[in-house]
Amino acid sequence: MTAQFWTACLLLLVPLGCGGAQPQPPPGRAERPDVIIPMGLLPGGQAETPVVPPKYTFAVIPKGTTHEFWKSVHAGAENAAKEFGDVKILWKGPLLENDRDGQISVVQDFVTKKVDGIILAPLDKQALVDAVKDAQAANIPVLIFDSALQDESLIVSYVATDNLKGGQLAGRQLGESMGGQGNVVMLRYNTGSESTEQREDGFLEAIKSGFPNIKVLSSNEYAGTTPESSLDKVTQILTKHKGEVNGIFAVCEPNAAGVLKALEESGLAGKVKFVAFDPNKELIQGMADGKVHGIVLQDPVTMGYESVKRLVAHLNGEKVEKRIGTGEYVATPENMATSEMDKLLKPQQFE
Amino acid sequence: MIEPPTTQPTSGYRTKSNQNWMRVFNVVGPFLALTAVVLFFAIADGWMNGEKATFLTGRNLMTISSQTATVAVAALGMTVIIIAGGIDLSAGTAIALCATVLAWSLKEDLGPRWFANETTASVAKSITEAKGDLKQIEREIEALAGGEYNTTQVAAKLMAKSDAEETIRQHERRLTKLKSLSAAVAVGMSLGCGAFCGFVNGLLVSYLRVVPFIVTLGTMQLYLGLSKQVARETTVRPDRFSQVSDGLVDLLSVRADALWLGLPSGVWLTLLLAALLAAVLHWTVFSRYVFALGSNEATARLCGINVRWNKIAVYTLSGLFVGVGGVYQFSRLTVGNPTSGSGLELRIIAAVVIGGASLSGGRGSVLGTLLGALIMSVIANGCTMLGLQNPVQDMILGVIIVAAVALDQFRQRAVSRKP
Repeated sequence: MTAQFWTACLLLLVPLGCGGAQPQPPPGRAERPDVIIPMGLLPGGQAETPVVPPKYTFAVIPKGTTHEFWKSVHAGAENAAKEFGDVKILWKGPLLENDRDGQISVVQDFVTKKVDGIILAPLDKQALVDAVKDAQAANIPVLIFDSALQDESLIVSYVATDNLKGGQLAGRQLGESMGGQGNVVMLRYNTGSESTEQREDGFLEAIKSGFPNIKVLSSNEYAGTTPESSLDKVTQILTKHKGEVNGIFAVCEPNAAGVLKALEESGLAGKVKFVAFDPNKELIQGMADGKVHGIVLQDPVTMGYESVKRLVAHLNGEKVEKRIGTGEYVATPENMATSEMDKLLKPQQFE
Repeated sequence: MIEPPTTQPTSGYRTKSNQNWMRVFNVVGPFLALTAVVLFFAIADGWMNGEKATFLTGRNLMTISSQTATVAVAALGMTVIIIAGGIDLSAGTAIALCATVLAWSLKEDLGPRWFANETTASVAKSITEAKGDLKQIEREIEALAGGEYNTTQVAAKLMAKSDAEETIRQHERRLTKLKSLSAAVAVGMSLGCGAFCGFVNGLLVSYLRVVPFIVTLGTMQLYLGLSKQVARETTVRPDRFSQVSDGLVDLLSVRADALWLGLPSGVWLTLLLAALLAAVLHWTVFSRYVFALGSNEATARLCGINVRWNKIAVYTLSGLFVGVGGVYQFSRLTVGNPTSGSGLELRIIAAVVIGGASLSGGRGSVLGTLLGALIMSVIANGCTMLGLQNPVQDMILGVIIVAAVALDQFRQRAVSRKP
């Protein structure tokens, strides 16, 4: 009876497993002829004698897999993989967004799997160091994106947004839209998150140095990782400082989603100046409606694209810069209709 | 399922053959499941990756064992709680609290300051200084070699050089000692912290007479808050080179030179603890009390078992395992992060349940729990090896858990139907 039961379980697993595997079938050698070479996409000098390009398998490990941001990174990585020919992307993040241990396991697994390169957005600058060392010991190059790793000597390159500068841009935009007067509230994201801490520092720095007449009412509240927790926190702050808040900065997308909801529910939308970091559909609509006064934008598609591109270059023996910035921008109600901003506001996403 | 009081407590009235059948089942069930999962991934890996298949390699199996250790060791403690008819939802955040306390203790140099009246930072500084001196001497020797020199001058410099090297070695030995001392104190604090968390849980469950589910739901949040407090709402980062002992990091490292008889030492320690716990559960009076509590608490009380103190003992014992889990978590992360235990409790409980324990108490086995924890890591690892996405991994895990619980129900009914 037992054996039968577990066999049934196994049978249950099989269709699940296959179903999951099908969306990204391994690029069989037969399906990918050498047609790519004549297209001239290989590094110069090889066009005359067609050589079969080395087949690279890259593991791309984001911090999580549910935010839209990572889907855009994924899209960028796949774009590059297509452009450079025979590169296969294995996309795998930790199950939970904040699971450092899980991310270490994923890196270890890919080291064992002997992929040709690992592209990693570390959840923690220190915790992932040993896992990256393991990769190095196994001769697998590691490229870091989005958030830094403590030991830069271990990595090929670091491809990321300058978060401090992004925070400064947010500070300037909020200060200007408030006319240099009034009280602001800054909502932090989560304890120990490096990239958002840099944004927070940048924001406070810009307000302090550029707008002496703006007072920071609150800058030590953590809004948490979900729009719901953020909504609760902002509602509390707005109640506590009733009638005093003139501007709010939300340091990342889930935060901002909660803030927008809170402003709408308390009837303050449009009256309180609001700057967000990273877009989503509601925030873009909110900006069109005059409820959002600025969104700091990163370029996740370029981040994914550049990461794969640089790792291919490294494997081909080219020299790769240690630090590659992917740019940071501010979308405002005035410039949001331009095609450049539109592309950043609605970045391509991996289907 | 709470059985009506009229039902006879099963264990005392089982026939001999029935009991044997149960025992075999307890071990064979989870073992078959593990075999099935491993076979599935091995075949799928071979089929998809051909010669490049790595799932069934020794290195991968070793990696899996290292990835399982934290959950497995905490699940050992949870097994005792679940056998005693309780549950501990705070295990995850308590692990993070222990790891944070451990990291904090290392960062604050508690051991060296208490027992050696010294800090790692000062020794690390003397090493840097001594290295600077050595460089200076080497430069002087080079300068001498370039120009006119007499042998006594060079000999003096060479003496100075070897002296400087000796000083560095001395300081380094001192630092290694201090790091070990610091690690010992920190590990002690982690274990103590775990036992304390368990003791608080036990105390509340016994004296408030609130169901453990609710009590530990509360302490789960409490421990999360405590660890955030200890960490001052950020991540505690002891300096990797001057404050963290290598032995602590190597506990679960998969680096070839950190292994002991082919497995990380932390895995061996887990196996040892499991063997000890299994012995306790088989041969001590305490274990009879634990099973009695889980089978029927009212009867246990009528039999004269001190329910309160045994419950406290059960939760405190489990807390010790949580403390070891905290050490393991730190060993893998090398930082103390207050939030990195959230969600872990569910994996711990799932390991116990997949291992054949009954959430209504009175049944559970150490071996089953280890196998249950392994099954989950094998799934996680196998999904990465096959390139399966997270949603698939979540679903497979869900199916396995539901299957395990369904099997438990099915078995209970089968048992109660037999004479």
